[in-house]
Parts: sequence; structure tokens; C-alpha cells
Amino acid sequence: MLVNEALAQQVRDQARELLEGGRVDCVIGYETGPRGGARPAFIYDAADVTRLIWNQACVHNLVTYLHDKKKPPRRGEQPPRVAVVAKPCDSRAVNVLLAEGQIERERVFVIGVTCEGLEDEEGAALPRCLRCADRVPVVYDVLLGEPPEVSPVEDGYGDLAGVEEMGASERLAFWLREFDRCIRCYACRQVCPGCYCTTCMFERDDGLWIDIGIEVSQKHLFHLGRALHLAGRCVECDECERVCPMDIPLSLLNRRLTREMEELYGHRAGREEVLTPLLFELGEEGSPI
Amino acid sequence: MKVTTLDALRSWLDTVVGEYDVVAPRDVDGHVLYRPVATSGEIVFSYERPELSVKDYLLPATEVLLRVEKRGGEVTVEENLADRGQVIFGVRPCDAHGPATIDALFLEQEPPDTYYSHHRARTVLIGMACPQLWEGCFCTSVGGAPDDATHLDVLLRRVDGGFAVDTVTEKGAKLIAGLCVEERDGAPDAPTTEGEAVPVMPPDAWRPLFGDNIWMRHGERCLSCRICTYVCPTCRCFDVADRVVEQGAGITRIERIRVWDACTSTNYRRAAGGHNSRPTKPVRLRNRSFCKFRYYPEDYGPLGCVGCGRCIVSCPVDIDITEVLQDVAERSGR
Ligand code: SF4
Ligand code: SF4
Ligand code: SF4
Ligand code: SF4
Ligand code: SF4
Repeated sequence: MLVNEALAQQVRDQARELLEGGRVDCVIGYETGPRGGARPAFIYDAADVTRLIWNQACVHNLVTYLHDKKKPPRRGEQPPRVAVVAKPCDSRAVNVLLAEGQIERERVFVIGVTCEGLEDEEGAALPRCLRCADRVPVVYDVLLGEPPEVSPVEDGYGDLAGVEEMGASERLAFWLREFDRCIRCYACRQVCPGCYCTTCMFERDDGLWIDIGIEVSQKHLFHLGRALHLAGRCVECDECERVCPMDIPLSLLNRRLTREMEELYGHRAGREEVLTPLLFELGEEGSPI
Repeated sequence: MKVTTLDALRSWLDTVVGEYDVVAPRDVDGHVLYRPVATSGEIVFSYERPELSVKDYLLPATEVLLRVEKRGGEVTVEENLADRGQVIFGVRPCDAHGPATIDALFLEQEPPDTYYSHHRARTVLIGMACPQLWEGCFCTSVGGAPDDATHLDVLLRRVDGGFAVDTVTEKGAKLIAGLCVEERDGAPDAPTTEGEAVPVMPPDAWRPLFGDNIWMRHGERCLSCRICTYVCPTCRCFDVADRVVEQGAGITRIERIRVWDACTSTNYRRAAGGHNSRPTKPVRLRNRSFCKFRYYPEDYGPLGCVGCGRCIVSCPVDIDITEVLQDVAERSGR
């Protein structure tokens, strides 16, 4: 595993400076977990910045935690100001949330880190890293690390070939077999920076569109619905797929729509601070509605 | 010891499937899960810890409790109780401690839960001892062991050329009457149980820690998913709902179903009007921990954790109940 200790030190120094200077209340970064991997860490005290790490196990998209920081901890107080360590893929989620009015730019300090690609627990490069064309965050307040020397790749959507070659009924059978394993733990939704509705339309507890029973038909609806709601908003961080305890290849659903959005609208979520073309604002003049 | 061979075990299982609903470890697209099987050929005999517990077959993730039919003015209500016996084969010892824990509330409190007790009564548990502790396992710290026969009906342990068979209950003896066994000298190897014991503080030590920052420290990174509660052999919260399954031409069919719930999920405590008395991740994680180590043992007897380690290895953000237990022990200074 590549441990970029120089970059880790820069992250710590940056975090210390922000906390000591009172610029932010909390820094969200990575620390080492009990079994050696990386895990999210919330640092409130400059004395704790030594816990922060940076290495190729830092897979989590920490931008998702900004949703928890939108409200003040106590009534009458201000919401906290937060710094977040963001890889290039994660930083695209910052743009999505800014465009959607979910976070206030001045309350969030983005510690952008350049990225040489991550690895799974067995040391293999992550699929999304192999096709990554970003390598440098798209939005940041400070940029740490040198842009790595990797030859730029063309995303040919090779990962989709398998399912796209299938006929319609074969493909349906493939997905139903995958969804059958789903335990509907909702981890895929909970981890997603783009899934922040207070009441998810596909939440089993709500019951308007989806049944509380765990039949495969209900899971089918949940997965297709969730994918559609992320069309043009999914930043391809693959967090949903990583957290799935049943290894359901959710990226194949999301990336199918990513490709569609790119072909139809030339849009790739979060590269710029714009809304997905599938969403529009209700307004007066000039608005489509 | 009594020993049976793999072949004998297989042919015996093939007779059992005709008479009982049989559930056993199966390889489901790369995941070992307890699943219904139709022949012994579907069963895996060499596995670590199935990724989900046997809970689904005693307290199903979704179970139809009642079927209601309204025809004109006439209403009929039918209870849905399976009429076959059920055999769960290959049960890890901690997975037998799971239902025993749930029994303390669902069977031993008045009134007992009709559906759960029906499944319990119709089920025979055939255990398969673990040769070692797997990743995350700490059964030995909470009253279990990789080869513990308590709460099982039969325990199998791997030996050279087959399995040692220990009959634990009457029910088990009756079921395996037709299994071919031979008497052999010796005893199965003891499992390896290396690793540090996890300190488990008594319920009263937890009380002063309700307001401690342990919960913020571990809970802030929680995703509020439901993985840990769904994989857990002892988490037993449920929800009940009615659903219309057919409507038309003077006939309405309704099902009353029971489904798993999860105290870690965002809206578990949401009440009418939108108030949520457990509004944040840390307080929800605190509840899950207190439930297991303080409320449940205080109210019903057993600990709410059998040390299976599933929640530890499946949490996507490394929330580790043994780390919480270490912190609780440290803080309570005992
Ligand atoms: S994380 Fe996996 S198992 Fe959980 S709801 Fe999503 S797809 Fe289903
Ligand atoms: S859908 Fe999955 S890959 Fe896309 S943004 Fe959400 S978590 Fe990331
Ligand atoms: S502790 Fe882990 S598995 Fe449990 S709800 Fe939180 S994130 Fe999910
Ligand atoms: S709390 Fe975790 S370790 Fe304990 S029984 Fe439940 S899943 Fe297993
Ligand atoms: S907790 Fe113990 S009994 Fe359960 S799988 Fe692990 S070693 Fe086996």
C-alpha cells in the first residue's frame, strides 16, 4: 500500500491551522481503524490532528457527512463550520451539493488532495481509479499534493459491456437475481452524498410507493428508482457498491445512467457546479415552467 | 465418540428434506448464507461464519401473520402458521445462542409471541462447531465457545474422515435416529480460541456512561444504515403493517405482515408530527449498545450480544462493538 506520509503530514498541518485559527469547528478526515484499515474521523481539537492519516485505503467519500452538519448542534446556535478532506471523485459531490443548495460555500472548507488511485483490502486498484480522469479535485479551498503523473484515460464504459450484451429478459433475470440477495439495509442510500431526502420516496417505512415487505419486487423498485433519482447527480464514487454487504453491483446501474447523461447532454455530475439537466428550477421568467 | 461420514450425513439429509423444511449453509453467488435447500448437494460443509444468522427462519425478515378476506359482508381471518417441521443444519454455536436470547423476551414473557413460538417449536437446530474464532468473533467473552453445544439439539464436530455427533436434546435424538454412526476411540480436537478477551462490564456500570462522549466518538461516523441490526442474531425489533394484496369484484384480501426494524435507522423513533426522540447517529448507536449490555440483561436476563462479530466485519465505517466495550471498561475504571 502506498502511504503518502508527506501528504498525510500536510493534511495534519492544514487541519491544525484551521482548528487553531478558529476557521472551522471540525475537520472530517481519515484515521486508522482497529483492524488496520482507514475510517472516517471527526477532529474537533488541534491536539487530535495526529490521528489523521492519508493512504490508499482512504476510500470513503466524506462529503456525505456534510449533511449531518447542516443543523446547529443546539437550538439557537449556528451550524458548525466544517473542513472536509476531499479526493478528486469526492470533490465532485461538493459541486453537486453546492448546485443543489445543500451546503453553504462559506461554511465548508474543502481540503482537496490529489490522488494516485486507491486500493481494496487485497491491494488491487479500485475499478473507479483505473478509469479516473480527475486526479485533481474540481473544487477546493486548499490543494495538497502534487498532481500525479498518470496518463489520462478515456472512460469507455467497458464495465457496462457485460450487462449491455444481454438481451432484455436475460438482463432482467440478472438483476432480479442480484436484488434477491439485497437485505434492504439501505446502506447504499445512507452512504450516498446525493441521497439526502428527509423522507426517501423508496423508504419502506413510508409506504406510499413501496411496500414494507421485503419481496424482490419491492427491492427492484427501490434500486431502479434510486438509480433514476441519481441520474446526472451520481459522482461515481462507488461508495454504494463498497458498503453493500451483499456485493450488489450497483455501479452498473448508476454508470448506465451516467453514460446516458453524458451522451444526451454532455453532462458529467459535479465536474462543474451545475444541476443535473433532469432537474429544473421552478421560477418565473426564463424557467421552463 | 460417535462418528458419521460425510456420505452418510448427505444421504441422511436427503431423507430429511422430504419430511422437513431444511435450511442449511449455501453458497449464494459467493456469499455463504443459511438458505432453504432441496437436496444435500446444495449444502456447503466447509465454511466460516454464514454472513447472516439463522434469525430469518425463526423471526423472518418479512412474515405474513394473518390473511384477511372480505367477501361482500363476510370477513374471514386466517392465521398463517407453517405446518411442517423445520431443520436448520450447520448452525454455528453463536447462532443457537441468538434464539435463546430472543426466547427470554418472546417466549418467557407473558404473553408469548404466537408466531415466534410456533417457529421455535417446529425447529430442530443441528450445530456445526467452529474449528477456530473467525474474524471479529468473541463468543468466548460472552458465555459461548466455538464448540459450545448449549441451545443446540445436535452438535457436529469435524474429525478425521467425518463428523463427531453429540446428541444434546431429546428432539435432536429423535431427528437423527436414522443417521448412520459408528463408535470410535478418541475425541475431536479442541478449537483454537486465541485472542484477547473482550471486557464486558455488568449492566450497572453502563448507567453513568449515558452522557459520555464515547457515543459521539464512535457514532458520529455511523451511516444510520441497518446492516448491524439485520446481521445480528439477537436484534429483534419489528414493525407490523397491513397491506391490501387484492381488491375488486366484491372481494378484498389483506395481509398483516411483520417485518424487521432497526433502531439504528433514522426514523425508528419518529413519532406523529415528525418529532424524533433519537434524532442523531450517536444517540442511536448508544441505544443499540445500551440495549445489548444494559437494558436487555436487566429486563430479561441474557446479554443482547452473542459475540458473533458480524456487525463488526460488516459495518462499512468500522464501528466495532468490541472497541466500544473496551472504552466502556476503561471509562468505568473497573
Ligand atoms: S447496501 Fe446492498 S443490501 Fe443494503 S440495501 Fe443497498 S443493495 Fe441492498
Ligand atoms: S450513487 Fe453511489 S457512486 Fe453515485 S454518488 Fe451515490 S454513493 Fe457515489
Ligand atoms: S454502526 Fe455501522 S452497520 Fe450499524 S448503522 Fe452504523 S454504519 Fe451501519
Ligand atoms: S451485537 Fe454484533 S457481535 Fe453481538 S451478536 Fe449482534 S451482530 Fe453479533
Ligand atoms: S462467535 Fe464463536 S460460535 Fe460464532 S462463528 Fe465465531 S467462533 Fe463460531
